[in-house]
Amino acid sequence: MIFLRRQVPLLITLVTGLVFAVQYYVPHPASEQMLTSVTKWLQIIGGFALVLGVSSLFHVHAMKIRRKEVGWGYSFVLYVSMLGTIAVGLWSNGKEAIDGAMTSFGWIYNFMMVPLQGTMFAILAFFIASAAYRSFRARSREATVLLIAAIIVMMGRVPLGEYLIPLSGDLSQWILNVLNASVRRAILIGVSLGTVALSIKIIFGMERSYLGGGKE
Amino acid sequence: MTFAERMLKIDRRLIFLVIGLCTLLPLLYPVGLPIKISPEVRGVYDYMESLPEGSVFLLSLDFDPASKPELHPQSLSLLRHAFRKNLRVVAMTLWVSGTGMADQVVTQVAREMGKENGKDYVFLGWSPGGTAVIMNMGQDLYGAFPVDYSGKPTKGLPVLQGVTNLRDVNYAISLGAGNPGVEAWYVFGKDKYKFELGGGCTGVMAPGLYPLLRSGQINGLIGGLRGAAEYETLIGQKGKAIAGMDAQSSTHLAIIVLVILCNLFYFSVRRQVKHQGHSGL
Amino acid sequence: MKRETLDVKRDNARSVCVAILLLVAVVCLLGRPALAQSQHGNQTKKTLSPPQDVRAFDTPSDGGGSVTVIWAPAAYDSAATKYQILLSEGLTTDSATMKVVAEFPANQHYVRESKWPWWTRPARGDQHQFTLRNGRGATLTNGTVYSIAVAAVLTDDRGISQPLLVTPQPNWVNWNQINNLVLALLFGGIVFYAISRARTREIFLRRIPGLDAVDEAIGRATELGKPILYLTGAHDMSDPSTIAAAVILGRVAKRTAAYETQLLVPHRDPMTMAVCQEITKQAYLEAGKPDLYKDDSNFFITSDQFSYTAAVDGIMLRKKPAANFFMGAYFAEALLLTETGASTGAIQIAGTDSDHQLPFFVTTCDYTLIGEELYAASAYLSREPVQVGTLLGQDIGKGLILCILAAGTVLAMLGVLLDAQWPQLFLDVFKDVK
Repeated sequence: MIFLRRQVPLLITLVTGLVFAVQYYVPHPASEQMLTSVTKWLQIIGGFALVLGVSSLFHVHAMKIRRKEVGWGYSFVLYVSMLGTIAVGLWSNGKEAIDGAMTSFGWIYNFMMVPLQGTMFAILAFFIASAAYRSFRARSREATVLLIAAIIVMMGRVPLGEYLIPLSGDLSQWILNVLNASVRRAILIGVSLGTVALSIKIIFGMERSYLGGGKE
Repeated sequence: MTFAERMLKIDRRLIFLVIGLCTLLPLLYPVGLPIKISPEVRGVYDYMESLPEGSVFLLSLDFDPASKPELHPQSLSLLRHAFRKNLRVVAMTLWVSGTGMADQVVTQVAREMGKENGKDYVFLGWSPGGTAVIMNMGQDLYGAFPVDYSGKPTKGLPVLQGVTNLRDVNYAISLGAGNPGVEAWYVFGKDKYKFELGGGCTGVMAPGLYPLLRSGQINGLIGGLRGAAEYETLIGQKGKAIAGMDAQSSTHLAIIVLVILCNLFYFSVRRQVKHQGHSGL
Repeated sequence: MKRETLDVKRDNARSVCVAILLLVAVVCLLGRPALAQSQHGNQTKKTLSPPQDVRAFDTPSDGGGSVTVIWAPAAYDSAATKYQILLSEGLTTDSATMKVVAEFPANQHYVRESKWPWWTRPARGDQHQFTLRNGRGATLTNGTVYSIAVAAVLTDDRGISQPLLVTPQPNWVNWNQINNLVLALLFGGIVFYAISRARTREIFLRRIPGLDAVDEAIGRATELGKPILYLTGAHDMSDPSTIAAAVILGRVAKRTAAYETQLLVPHRDPMTMAVCQEITKQAYLEAGKPDLYKDDSNFFITSDQFSYTAAVDGIMLRKKPAANFFMGAYFAEALLLTETGASTGAIQIAGTDSDHQLPFFVTTCDYTLIGEELYAASAYLSREPVQVGTLLGQDIGKGLILCILAAGTVLAMLGVLLDAQWPQLFLDVFKDVK
């Protein structure tokens, strides 16, 4: 059992890890074809994995309803809306519109999903304001620099800001293009090194906790 | 509790109200301030302008309804520009939840500009796999999308004549709200299959894409509603983005005022604490 | 009379001369279209010398469907003169039958402008080069023989080189990227060296306040009898940041098991959920509390960004976790999650390599692991030599990059100031050539 749970996955990781590291340096169409095939396998496996997710979702909410936990009514709403959407989607052949006429699935998409998602994203503006009010304080010299830069960029990114302080547009452009881009590059270099180091550890089986915890 | 302390712990719903009003009022009573064009938006516009008639323009609408307010105006302007230039438009999406919306926007602009499906443009729809779709398209476009969104076989469509894979695309733009988006199109697309790439994204994501812009990995960037408003100005067709700029201006200003106020209260509280500390000694 | 006769004769001669001149002019004018026509048929009078030292070969280090032509610069190279690339399938000696597939001003397309590094560059920098690829105006099939020629064109003059045979082929190695391979191997070697060093010596680890706070957060949750919420980010297991988040989950789960605190891990990806279930189970086993483990602690919500966010916000508001962990990759949902978490008064620890979301995490969380600190977290929490050694390897790598950046900047400036080519020998080694 340990062999199937440990050695085999580690071997698959080692072989595929090395093969695809080498693939990067092989421009031959055969190598590209191999990459394409494997990505298709991944898509298929990913599709099956969705079954895992949906079964987990059903299980968790079924338990909530059975135990009558706090808010079990929401779990019921989830069941109804999920099964309802699947049924309507199948009925409409997965199309939002047929020959320009909106289907019932299209109605759900346009008049439920679009406004609900839009609302969630719109909340961001309110949360940005409240987070800025609560946290954007000049507690130290670094925080003050951050605060000034934020104000300049906020002014420079809107017509009113540029109208009130004409220099703010160019200044915010400079902050974004020079200071921001260089700091992000520095972070990216660190992240990339971390990624490569982690990949090396995974390929050579030195990091195996992702297979289920620590050592054998 | 002093006034400053009370103000620092203000109910956040009041802040929400201020922001709500600052968004709503300019939308009801627009001012129409002039919009300055940034070099990154001009980069996209100029490249589109330089493309000869009949060039293949790929637009990947990689966003869902959540990002519609920012990315929908961008897609409208880009499609209008492309159709006006008589480019062959190939539209698609990597986000399944954005498929219906992407279809609507492409069909709407094509109808408005008198373009014919299959001849002047095609909407390929969505294919599962995220970044893998880009790689598959790099190998064989017809393998990744054997049929278009309406179910017609893509092979033989006049709009795709001479196009076999991503190498045959003259210009691609990804309007991305996350992953897969602009970065994925660079890493798995442009980097391997050598086509010119531009980007569009939400305002939150824009600063994160500046390193790609500076290094020439993308030749232009339309960032958020502001970017969309700039593009609308460039093509001379006012739309929702320009209308929304007044609201964005006032919201930014409101946040700046709030930040300044919170710092005034913060320093006032700090001075009081210091003062009490000294008098305590 | 005589004089008159002479005058008449002179007039006649003048008339004859004018007539001859007119005739020549008419013939010339009539002849022009004929010449232009012959030029169209690739049979121009050859007063312009054809391009010299022309070489054609399969473009090296590519996937095929491409050929490269190289030829020597000429005295007539200018914006006014044009070069044309002529191509035809099979063996051809008559350039008239060849098709013009590319045309550009003669002062463009030099080897020095190409992306080839010095170790694969096929000619000197001052030579002309053109790489013809399948698809745009020309069809190049691997294994098929083509005839290719270069023509120089100046108004009506045209000089065409002898057609050369060339066959596009796919290659097995991209030699342009060999520097990348060497650097990757070098970095791999450094990591292995650092790990072996960490096994024999104690290595200093700087404090990461965010990780010091992990115990504090779990302890607080235990005291309050509230759960801990742990998120693994927006990506799937193919992203190293998600793997790092899953690895840290193992350490956190071990402590929650020891403290007997409830752990909630909502997921956006079913595969990540399955992996995290295994990790959590193992952690509870290692903590000696396998009976406390619940499969339901890891659960799937949805892969949709904002539906997931709404659901997690709901969990935060209903269950009021004492500590929220946000590890992995995040997008616009970051602030919606952390701001809601802050409103419930939970201790919040974030760790992400999504640099675009860092400002939001820094503003709303108590502690934030920035970029690579996410990858360092595993080493910090476990103190295992392999993990700590990897960190040392990363630091050595970073030191090397800093030195290369400094040296590269100085050399690039010297190259410009001295108009010298030799700095390019160094710079090419660190260039990303595709």
